[in-house]
Formats: sequence, structure tokens, C-alpha cells
Amino acid sequence: MESTSTRTPQARWLEALRGPLLQVVNYVLILLLALAIGGVIIWLSGKDPLAAYRALFVGALGKPLAVANTLDRATVMILAGLAAVVAFSTSVNNLGIEGQLYMGAFAAAWVGFGVRGLPQFLHIALALAAAALAGALWSWLPIWLKLRWGVEEIVTTLMFNYIAMLFTAYLVAFPFASKNTVLPGTDEILASATFPRLVRGSALNAGFLVALALVVVVQWFLFRTKQGYELRMVGLNRRFATYSGMPVRRSALLGMLLSGALAGVGGGAIILGFFLRFVTGFSSGYGWDGIIISLLAKNSPLAVVPASIFYAALANGSLEMQAVTQVPSTLVGAIKGVIMFLVTARVFLDYFSKRWRT
Amino acid sequence: MSEAVAMQGIVKRYPGVLANDHVDLTVEAGEIRAIVGENGAGKSTLMKILYGLELPDEGTIRIQGQQVRIRNARDAIAHGVGMVHQHFKLVPSFTVAQNVVLGLEPHNGIVLDQAGTRAQVAQISERYGLKVDPDRRIMDASVGEQQRAEILRALYRKADVLILDEPTAVLTDSETDELFAILKRLAQAGLTILFISHKLREVLAVSDNTTVMRAGKVMGTVRTASTSARELAEMMVGRSTLEDRARQRAPHIGEPVLEVQDLSVHDSRGILAVRSASFQVREGEVLGVAGVEGNGQVELAEAITGLRPSASGRILLQGRDIRNQPVRTIRECGVAHIPADRNDMGVALDAQVWENLACTHYYERDYSGRMGLALDRIRSMAGERIAGFDVRTPSLTCPARNLSGGNLQKLVVARELGDQRARLVVASQPTRGIDVAGSEAIRGMLLDYAAQGAGVLLLSADLDEVLEVSDRVVVMYAGNVIDVGKVDASTREKVGHAMTGGAASAEVPEA
Amino acid sequence: MSIAETLQRLINVALFAAGLRMATSIIYATLGGIFCSECGVLNVGLEGLMLVGAFFGVVGSFYLGSAWAGLLVAVLSCLLLSLAFAAVHLEWGANQMIVGLALNILGYGLTTYLLKQMFNTAGYFSSEKIIAFQPLRIPLLDNLPLVGSLLGGHFALVYLAFASVALTWFLLYKTPWGFRFRSVGESPGAAEAVGINLRQVKYTGVLIGGIWCAVGGAFLSLAQLNLFSENMSAGRGFLALAAVNFGNRKPLRCLIAALVFGLADALSVRLQRFGFPSQLVLMLPYVSTVLILTLSSMQRRRLAPAV
Repeated sequence: MESTSTRTPQARWLEALRGPLLQVVNYVLILLLALAIGGVIIWLSGKDPLAAYRALFVGALGKPLAVANTLDRATVMILAGLAAVVAFSTSVNNLGIEGQLYMGAFAAAWVGFGVRGLPQFLHIALALAAAALAGALWSWLPIWLKLRWGVEEIVTTLMFNYIAMLFTAYLVAFPFASKNTVLPGTDEILASATFPRLVRGSALNAGFLVALALVVVVQWFLFRTKQGYELRMVGLNRRFATYSGMPVRRSALLGMLLSGALAGVGGGAIILGFFLRFVTGFSSGYGWDGIIISLLAKNSPLAVVPASIFYAALANGSLEMQAVTQVPSTLVGAIKGVIMFLVTARVFLDYFSKRWRT
Repeated sequence: MSEAVAMQGIVKRYPGVLANDHVDLTVEAGEIRAIVGENGAGKSTLMKILYGLELPDEGTIRIQGQQVRIRNARDAIAHGVGMVHQHFKLVPSFTVAQNVVLGLEPHNGIVLDQAGTRAQVAQISERYGLKVDPDRRIMDASVGEQQRAEILRALYRKADVLILDEPTAVLTDSETDELFAILKRLAQAGLTILFISHKLREVLAVSDNTTVMRAGKVMGTVRTASTSARELAEMMVGRSTLEDRARQRAPHIGEPVLEVQDLSVHDSRGILAVRSASFQVREGEVLGVAGVEGNGQVELAEAITGLRPSASGRILLQGRDIRNQPVRTIRECGVAHIPADRNDMGVALDAQVWENLACTHYYERDYSGRMGLALDRIRSMAGERIAGFDVRTPSLTCPARNLSGGNLQKLVVARELGDQRARLVVASQPTRGIDVAGSEAIRGMLLDYAAQGAGVLLLSADLDEVLEVSDRVVVMYAGNVIDVGKVDASTREKVGHAMTGGAASAEVPEA
Repeated sequence: MSIAETLQRLINVALFAAGLRMATSIIYATLGGIFCSECGVLNVGLEGLMLVGAFFGVVGSFYLGSAWAGLLVAVLSCLLLSLAFAAVHLEWGANQMIVGLALNILGYGLTTYLLKQMFNTAGYFSSEKIIAFQPLRIPLLDNLPLVGSLLGGHFALVYLAFASVALTWFLLYKTPWGFRFRSVGESPGAAEAVGINLRQVKYTGVLIGGIWCAVGGAFLSLAQLNLFSENMSAGRGFLALAAVNFGNRKPLRCLIAALVFGLADALSVRLQRFGFPSQLVLMLPYVSTVLILTLSSMQRRRLAPAV
């Protein structure tokens, strides 16, 4: 087989682009199909699908402030998505991202209102470090059980989700019950621990920048460092990694801890930037969003960003949709499920690959 | 005698290869027909079509004179075709009897009739002389017993035509003789036997007629009694392979690179797989380990390369004991490993080609620094290896999955031997599943490497390969390593003797 | 109150009876998991299926006026979803874990959405028009001293749960159908070689699994409680997964795990009445799951040390 083709540069560009282009077209078609199914559901309930979707779009991206809010909501999703990407790249089934998010959030809140007298930069850094540590600690127990006794982490991480949610709820209800608020939450964090706002009038804050920075870090880590390479090889073929002499158990451990840490930072970011206190039940399934996002992004850290923004757009838009057209915002949850089904079904991709023979 | 099976004009295409090119095959009832050819000749495909595991693109099939359509295994069974697979298709946790009746179980109402099952299986086994224990679970049964279970399964379904795919690959010489006796009995009872093989001596021993296939076509069918191994070989590969080739041998055989002393290793079930093995490999020497798979070769290779803990003994690499050391330490001491199953651990199919080449040295100073991997240096190394070992790949960044089996194996060899640092090469079944040209290339690479002064430990179930490549031979039988000595004209016979447990104790080869 | 008295009030026959009742939905979901796993499909979407079963059980009972009708509607809805799951996995090759997760997300999203859409409430829905199951009166059994309190007065579905476990064991290990079914999961190559249609068997397995999950879910909303609340399955589908894992797909062993989880559930409810913080006490089932799995893995390691 010839290794260099005799085609023109343009043809070679087209060749290289074809793969990603097909992917994009595939996703667009899936989105349209899912929206169509959603539209049918809306219509069956007696409302106008077009009006609903228009409201969805406006709420998500209609005005600059809406865009800013969407980007803000994407922050925690990006971090959860990164957590999932790291875990799944090394074939660790971390389904406990939601729980790690909770632990990280609480740790950040604690440092946020518990530590006084620090300059803002340091305070935020400390809070995020605490969040990362909490998330990593929470992910450490399931992976240790797996490495030590072979306990399947799929099930244990699932259990730890519930334990984390209940434990933090307990902390909020008893030891850390706030005297300053009626909501089931802790005290408010200090101003020195709050992320500075990026766009006045919106929720968008420096947390978003932290998330973007971490995307770059994770991308560099996975694809340009020794440990990242090991992690990925262990994920692709564990026996191969062992045979090559790679530290397989250490890689699994590292992957899981990093995953937990990223999830923890995600929880911390949303507390320090949005809620400004720890609130029981603050997460509307961001951990699960992160897992789906990592699937949509095919484990590419860079692709996590557009996928997260898309999901955040759906979430924000759904609130507007509910306000304007009374279509319940939870419909979006159903649409997300449909999208996941369709994405995994590779329906359109198979059709394409037959028509445009690769 | 009547026509039992007639396949006419069979064509089967896979992407990039014409597996069956207008193949005609007619076999009579009660005949034992051997179908021979090199790997990739199309014989397996043809039989899969007959058993319904593949669908032909063109062509017809007649069974007992009737034209039939065989769309799946069920159709094949319904028309009286049974198959004994090369890699057994049995349910490990079910007993022999339960496997035999699966799909056609005797029953009382909706309850399985266990007693009836046992009785029927015992009856067939008696009638054809196939010794099995009906209540033994397959996972506990020997290889020979498992194969007999597969045969029984076909007979239980009243097969008139029995296909066997490389049945002797996993049997010793004496088990092979037993099998052939069974096949002759079955043929006398009227069954038509078709068996695929590339082992010409066995084919000559048992078949009535032999069909030779090459590159998807039938080259011809001959009466076995009036042909010879040389003639068959010529038909199979188009040239004589039995010429002696002048091998580039090492200038001299040096000091021992590997000394194994009283090594004992357990398999995954805790059973002793290697029993107090002792042998040596010297610089410049190729030591062949002959023996049918399943006698402890895998465990031996894994123990030496650090993939499996061993219970006792010593493994000395240039004097240093590497037993139970981490894999990376052993590799750094100069051990290369070409594993028996490349897809299982030799490559990561979904990783890119360069990633597959970098996996043993990426952490070294040349290839990684404080700011991460030195990707350009890694890639240039990869490019050199690809070129040096003639690995055909569209690019360095395509997934390894895209490469053919032969090229994947060359990639493994390129990685293991490419940096010239290994003093010992452990090569397990290095040419399994590779075509003739690829196999010759790989054997050549191993010989060249030995000629430079390294020691090669070759574990291969292909006795012809062992005899062709090795300087000295040992045999592995039931976990024991039996020394046979330097390769000469009498080696084959000695090996056969040892493979049936002839030499009872392991001997330390003379210095 | 002294510790002894506390323990006495806590651990009595009524606790175990409650444990049986609360184990029931988990037992059904576990059976669902067993059927899926034995034919080679790992279904992590049991949780979503249970939730859907719970919701549509209420829907059916509300509109059709009987608990058994509700059960039927629950079964039909889960059959539909299971069919979708099976189709996506078997026809289009989707990764089964991902589709299972999608099932969970879809289940949660769909039920929450329909709760708002159909009954115009959020959080939970309860009404007198939801006809629930009634506990059975078995005169002979109820009057027995200890045994009566433990085993008497349960819903029909509770007794049926145990019967179902026995039925499952019989089906899978004593009938030809069961052998073929299990061969598909354990050695698809062998099954194919004897002409068994893998795809058909897997579809059947997933659908049967869906039916069991539906019953488990409907039990939650029509027997154990008499309402539907958002996310009321609360991880029981995952507990079922743990039970299947613990018992290595053998019905009797899995039953034991499910019973333990049910007991932990019942214990947590009682502990709350004793003034323990509800959040801590609610952790019991999940913590006990981790403990059980760890203990079982430790034992497996000891018996068959990985080389």
C-alpha cells in the first residue's frame, strides 16, 4: 500500500475532514430527530412545539446575557465531563461523579465560609484545592476496594452517590445548620471566596475560565505525558499494558483519583460561583450530564466544551420554555434520554458509512 | 457409492480478498476427504459455508443429491451436516452430556430429562467408541475429551456429513491416532468425513482423497494413496518448500543467556502447569520448545517474562535471577517477548500504530522529559521501525486494527527486536495465523537476531517450524521439559516419542 | 430508655416482616437483572425501568380503577422501553452500559415530565382514585405464633416474589429452555453452533427482565406505598444490580442479598422513628450494599486467589 498519496492537497484535506465532518452531521441529525420526537410529545400535550422551541432557543442563546448564563451553567458540566473522560479513558467505570461533586461542593463551601482573612486569589485556590481533595478522597474508596478485593466499582460508585448526597444533607441539617438562612444550606461563603463576575448582570464568573484551563490541562495530560499515555493504554487494552511493563494498577488508581478531583472541583466551582453556599440537592444531575457529555465527546477533553455548552443551552432554554409556554422544563430531561439512545445507536453513522464507502 | 456433498461454483468475497474463487468440491458417502492448504487458502471459509456460518456470494450446494440452501447452522444441522470446530464451541459450566444435547434436549414435558440425556450420550459413545464421562463438566475435561464431546454432538444430531476443522492442532501424536481410528470407524458406518488440515503427514495417514486449495482456488483433488507429501506441498505453495535453506548461523554459540533451574509454575486454576523445568538458552542459539499447546508453554513463557508468578525455582538472565520480578525490570534486563496471542496482549488494536511501538520505551529519557513525551522523537523511532521491518501500514496514526494479521505481527517483532537491546527473545507461536510469506519473514527476523548473538526461546506447536528454525530442541509434555538435543534427522522421531511421555524425567542439557 | 430496651423495640419480628415487604421490589428487580445477565446483556437500566413501572402502575390504577390493571399497564410500559433498549443494543450495536444509563435518564425524565403533564403536580402524586393492593388474610398462617407475624398478612406480590425466585431457578436450571438461555450468555459460540438464535434469546431475556422490573416498580407505588413520587425507586434498581453481582446470577444467592437490602431499608425506617437523623439512617441500604459486596469479594479472593 502506498504511504503517500498522489492526490492534491485539497483532496487530502477533504479526506482528513471527512471523519469529523460526518460526526458533526451525525450529531446534527440526531439532535433534529430528538427534537422532533420532543415536538411530537409537546404537540400531544396540546401545546405548540414551535413556540416551545423558540422559547428554548431564546432562553439559551437569544441575548448576550442568556449566552453568558448558558456558559456559566456549562462550567460544572465541563468539569464533570472531564472527570468522566479521565475515568473512562482508563476504563474505570466511575459512575460516582455525582457523589464526588457533592463532596467537593461541600468542602469548597466549608473553606469558603470557614476560613477568614485570606486574599481572594488564595481563598478561592484553597477552596478549590479542598474541593479537589474531597472529590478524590471520595473516589479513592471504591477504587481501593476494586484493587484490593476486586469489588466492582460500577456498583460501589453508584452507592457512594447516595451516601454522599445523604451525608452532605446531614451535615447541612445538623452540624453546619445555618442560622442565617431559611434554605436547607450552610452559611454563605465570604466575599473573598466568591468567583469574580465576568459579565455584569449574568451569572458568568471566573469559574468558567478555571474550567477551560482545566480542559487544556487534561488534554495535555492525557495526550502528552507519560502517565496520560499509560492511562489510555490501560484503558484500551489492560493485558497489553501489563505485558508492556506499564504500572496498570497505579494507572487505574491515578485515573480514578483525578476523576474524583475534577468532579470535586466541578462541585466547588458551582458553589463558589453560583450558589455561594452549599445547598442540599443543588445538583440537578450534573454528574450524569458529565457522563453523557463524555460519551458525546468520545472521550476527547476538547470536545467536552461544545458538548457541555449544548447541554447547558438545553437546560437554560428549558426554563424559559416553561415560563413562556408552560411546557414543563423536565421534558428536556426526556429529550436528553432520547438523544443518548440515538447517539449510542449510531443510526446515522451506519447509514453514512454505507453510502460514502470509507 | 453415492454423492454425499457437492459444492459447485462457490464464490465468497471479503473486503479486499477473494476467499473462495469458483470452488467445486464433490465428496462421496463414506469417504474421508482431507482439504489442505496454507493459511488463507480458503478451506476454512468453504467449510463455514457448508455449515451455514457464512453465506456464499455465488454457487450451489447439494446434499445427498438434493439442492439445498444453508443459511445458518440450523439449516446445516437439519440437512445432516455436523461440525467439530478448531476452537471448541462448548459451554464450560455444562457437563459433556448437557453440551451434546444442547438444542435438542430429551425432556419430560418442560423438564429436562437428565437420565435420558446421560443414557443417550452413553449409547452413542459406545457405538462409535468415543470415550467420555457424560457427567464431567467441560471446564474440567481434557482437550481430547472436549473434542470427542463435539463429535458426539454432531452424531447425536444424526449427522451424515462431519466436518472437522484442524482437529489435530491441539492433540498429541497418540491422541491423533485415536482420533483417526474414530474417523475410520465413522466412515465405515457410512458417514462422510471432511477434514481441514495443513499437516500433510496426518492427511496422508487417514484420508481417502485429498483436495488442495491455494489462494481461494481448488488446485486439484488426488487419491491420497497415490500422492506424496512433496507433491501436496508443491500444490499448496506452488514451489517446493523442502529444500534446505542455507541459514545464517551465529559465528559461535556463547555463554548461557537464560538458565531455568527447577522452575515450577501454576496455571490460573492453581494446577501445576510447569513441573521443575530446567534448560538453557545460549547466546546465538535458537532453542525450540516443541509440543502441542496446553502443556504448559504459555505458563512457562509468562513466568520467564514476568507476566505470571512462579512457585519455585530460578530464572537466571545472564546470571541475574529475574524470577517474580516486575515486567518492566525484566524487560530492562534485556528480555523481549513476542506473545502467543498478539490481539490479546501484543497490541492495543484501538491505539495508533506509533502508540503500539512506543509502549516499551516511552518512559526513557530519550522519549520523555519534564514537559511530557517527546512526540517527535517517538514518531521518528516509529517510522524507522516500520521501515526496517517492512510493516505495511497507511500511516503511523491509524489504529492498529487496520493492519492485517501478518503486519500486526511484524509490528510486534519490530517493537520487540527493533532497538537491538534484547539479549533473550521469548517467541510464542510467532507465526500462528500468518500466511506463508509473512511466516517466512518473521522466522527470518528471529534467525537474524539470533545471529547477532542473542538467545531465542521459540515455543511453537508447529513442529516443522521448530525443526526448521531451532538449533536444539526440548519438548514440553504435561508440564515437563524433556531435552531432545541438537536438531538432526532423528529429532522428529525423538520428539514424537517424548510427546507421548516417552522420556519420563526432565534432563539438564549438557553444557 | 436503656440500650437493651431500645434494641428490643428495634429488633423484633415486625422488623423482619417489614424487611420482607421492603425486599420485595428489590427481589423482582433482581430477577429482572438475572434474566438479562444470563443471556449476556448487562442491563444497568433496571433503576429506570422500576421507576417507569412505578409511575405507570399508578397511571393504570388511577384510570382503570384496579391495582392489577395498574400492574398490567406497568408491565406494558416496561415492555416497550425494554424493547427499545434491546433493539438499540442488538440491532445497532450500542454499548449496553451506555444504553442502560440512557434508560435510567429517560425513565427519570419521562416520569417527572409526565407527572407534571398528566397530574399537574411536581414532587409526588397521591389520590384516592389510586387503587392499591390490599394485604392478604390467610387465616391458618396469620394465627401461628411467631411465624404468623413474620409471614402473615403480606401483599400477594410478596408471596409471589418468593415463588418467582423458585420459578426462575426451575426455569433456568431444570428446563431445556433454561439451558439454551444460559448457553447464550455463557458461550454464545456454542449456542450458535447448535443453531440457537442468539438475537431472539437476548430479546426474550431483556423483555422478561423488563416485566420483572415493572412488577417491582408497581409494587413500590401500589403496595408498599400508595402514591408516586419523583425518583421513588431511590436506587433500588442499583441495589438489584449489586444483588445479581453478589449472587453471581444464581437465584437463591441473589435472593439472600436482596433480603439483606430489604432488611437494611426497614431498619433505616425504624431508626428514624427513634430520633436518629434521617439522612444518616437512610444511608443504611447503600452502605450495607458496599459491605456485602466487599465481603463477598473478599471471600471469592480467598477461595480462588487470582494468579
